[in-house]
Amino acid sequence: MVKESTKLKRLIKAIWIFNWFNSCGFIELVPVVASRWDMERFGMIIVGSPRHADVLFIAGYQTLKSIKRARRVYEQMAAPRVVIALGACTMTGGMYWDSYNTVKKLSDYIPVNMYIPGCPPRPEAVFEACGKIFQHVEEMD
Amino acid sequence: MSERSTMTGKMNASASTTISQLQSAAEDGEYDLYFGPAHPGSGNFGVKLKIAGEIVASARADPGYLHRGFEKLMEYRVPIQNSVLSDRICVLEALNWNLIHAEAVEELMGIEPPERAKCIRVIMAELSRIQSHIIWFGAFCIGTGFDTGFKLAFGYRDYILDLFEMITGGRVYPAGYICPGGVRRDFPDGATQRIAHVLDQIGKMVKIEEMENPTLLARAEGVGVLKLQDAIKLGATGPVLRASGMKADVRKDDPYEVYDRFDFEVPTREEGDIYARYLVGIEEIKQSMKIVRQALRQLPEGEVIAPKFKRIKLATKIPEGDVYVRNEVARGEAGMYMVSDGNDRPYRVKIRGPSFLHMIPVLEHVLTGAQIADVPAIYWSLNVCPADLDR
Amino acid sequence: MATKEDIEILDKITSEFKIKGEVRRKGRIWLDAPTEDFVDLCKWLKGQGFQHLSAISAIDWPDEGMCELAYHLWSYQDKILITLKVKIDRQNAVIDSVTEVWDGSAQAHEREIHELFGVKFEGNHNLTPLFLEDWAGPPPFRKDFDWREYVREKYYDRQNERERVYYD
Repeated sequence: MVKESTKLKRLIKAIWIFNWFNSCGFIELVPVVASRWDMERFGMIIVGSPRHADVLFIAGYQTLKSIKRARRVYEQMAAPRVVIALGACTMTGGMYWDSYNTVKKLSDYIPVNMYIPGCPPRPEAVFEACGKIFQHVEEMD
Repeated sequence: MSERSTMTGKMNASASTTISQLQSAAEDGEYDLYFGPAHPGSGNFGVKLKIAGEIVASARADPGYLHRGFEKLMEYRVPIQNSVLSDRICVLEALNWNLIHAEAVEELMGIEPPERAKCIRVIMAELSRIQSHIIWFGAFCIGTGFDTGFKLAFGYRDYILDLFEMITGGRVYPAGYICPGGVRRDFPDGATQRIAHVLDQIGKMVKIEEMENPTLLARAEGVGVLKLQDAIKLGATGPVLRASGMKADVRKDDPYEVYDRFDFEVPTREEGDIYARYLVGIEEIKQSMKIVRQALRQLPEGEVIAPKFKRIKLATKIPEGDVYVRNEVARGEAGMYMVSDGNDRPYRVKIRGPSFLHMIPVLEHVLTGAQIADVPAIYWSLNVCPADLDR
Repeated sequence: MATKEDIEILDKITSEFKIKGEVRRKGRIWLDAPTEDFVDLCKWLKGQGFQHLSAISAIDWPDEGMCELAYHLWSYQDKILITLKVKIDRQNAVIDSVTEVWDGSAQAHEREIHELFGVKFEGNHNLTPLFLEDWAGPPPFRKDFDWREYVREKYYDRQNERERVYYD
C-alpha cells in the first residue's frame, strides 16, 4: 500500500478543484478563476465531476436542504481528498447565527481540513491557503 | 476491405436500430432529468425537467437551497444593524438593496437625506448596476459556451470593485455604506477622477461586447421567446419585460432619489428572445454610464448625512406606520414593505425580489418546448439571482 | 401631495364598493377591504388597469388575534400604486385565492405565504411547500415561534466557552 504522505505529495503538483458554491461566500472565488488572479497558471482547474477532483471548496453558509447534497458530493470524491471551507459562516454560523434553517458548524457534517476567514474572503486568501496546504504536505514524513 | 465495410455496415445498422428504438421509447413515455444545484450551468437552484426525446415537455422549479428567513432576521435587529445585513439579500447587487432599505426607514421616520448624499447614492447604485450587468454578460457567455466573454467580463469588473474598495472599504459588501439618513462617509480625494477613468475602461469593454458575433447569434436568436401577454400575466419586470416590448422602468415611472433630474432612455425590444435580452442589457450599461457622468457634473457640496443620524444612537425609535417602497435594481423591480409599531426594531419587513417571479412561473413557462442543450442559455438569460428568490 | 388623478380614482373606488381609503402622497392609495366579495373587487380593479400584482405580504398580529394580508397593485397606465389590506382570523386563516385574476404571479406568492404563515387559500390547486424540505415544526414566520430560543437549544451549547456569547 502506498503511504498517505506519498499520495499527498503527488497531489500537490497541480490540484483539481470541485467548487460547491452555495451562497454569497463564493463571489470572490470567481476572480480567482477568471483573468485577474488566474489560477490556471498554477495548474488548478475546475472540474465538473467530484470523482475527478482533489479538493472540495465549500463556500458560505449551508442550509439543511443543501448540506445533504454537499455530503453526497463529498462521499463521491476519491481519497486522498482535502476540504477547504471559506467564510465565517462555516465556522460559527456567521451573520445568520439566529436563522432556523442554516447549519452552524460545518465540521459536524463534513470533516474540514482548512478554514479561510472573511466575509467574503479575499481572492489572495485562497492562494495563501493553498500555499499552506502544500507546505503542510511537504512537512509530512 | 469488404470485411471492414461489412463490419462498419453492421455497426451502423445496429446503431440506427438502437436510436430508433430509443426514439420510440421516448415517444411512448417521458423521463426525468434533474438540472441540479452543482451543475456549472445552473448554480444554487434546481429545475426538474421532464424530457421527451430532446425536447423539454415540462419543468418544475425547485428552490430553497439558500433560504435563511431574511425577513424575520431583520425583526431582531435595529435599523443600523439591518443596513449591514441588507447587502446580503443579493450578493451581486449589494448597494441597490442597501438603498431600498435606507429609503424604507427614512420614509417611516419622515427624514430627508441631504442633496449631496442623494447624488452619491445614485452614483453608487448605478455603478452597482453596471457591475451586475457585467456579471450577467459573463454568466450568459458560460451558458452559450463563449468562454472568452466570461474571462473578459470578470476582468473588467474588477475595475469597479477596486473603486468600491476605495470609497466604501469593501470590494463586494460595502458594510452598510448607504444607511438611513444618507451615506456613511464622503468621497475620498481623487474619487471623482477615478470614477471617470473607470467609466472609460468600461466603455472599451462595451465596444467589444457589442460586436456582432455570428456564433453567439446563431445560438441565441429565436430561442426562449417570452411574449408580452405572458410576461405581464406572469409578473415579469425589469429587463425581461423590456425585451418583450413594454417600456416600464421604476426610475422613470415612479422616481425616487434624484432620478427625475437626469436625462436617460429606457431601451426596449420587441422579440423577447435571448438575443433581445442580451442587447437590452448592453444598452442599459451605456445608459447607466450616462447617468453617472451627469451626476458627477452636478454633484453639489454639503453634508452627507442627516443631522439626526450624525451621532448614531442604537435605540432610536421608529414611529408607527407602514410603507411600501419600490426601486429598480439591476434585475427588475424590487419592493420592501416595512411595518413598525413604535419600537426600535421593525415589526415586519417583507422583501419582494425580482427573481421570485422570474424563476418560478416565468422559467417554467419559457423552458417548455426548448431543447436540452439550450436550457443553460435560457436560464442565464433571465438574469436570475437565487439568493433573492429564497431570501 | 395628492394629485387630481389619485383623488378621482379613490372616489371611483369608494363609490363603487363600500370600503375606506386614503391617499397618502402622490401615487399612493391605501384601502381597507372586507373579505366578502374580495375577488370581485380585485377583478374590477384589474379591469381599471391595475394589471401588475407586485407582492402579497402577510403580517401576524397575535395580540389582536388576526392576520393581515396586504396586496400591492400597480397600474402601468396611470402610474399609481394601491395597497389593499384585508384582515382574517388567525386561528382559522382562510381566504379566497386571487389566481383567477392575476394568474401565475399570485400563485407563487400564495404558495409562499401558505408555507411560512399557515394561511389557506381557497381555489389555489397547488399549495405544496416551496422552500423547506421535511419541516415538521410550526409555520416559521409566525410571532410565537422564537428563533433565538430555538437556535440556542438546538445548535449551541452553553457549557462551551466560545459559544457563551450567543447566550447574552
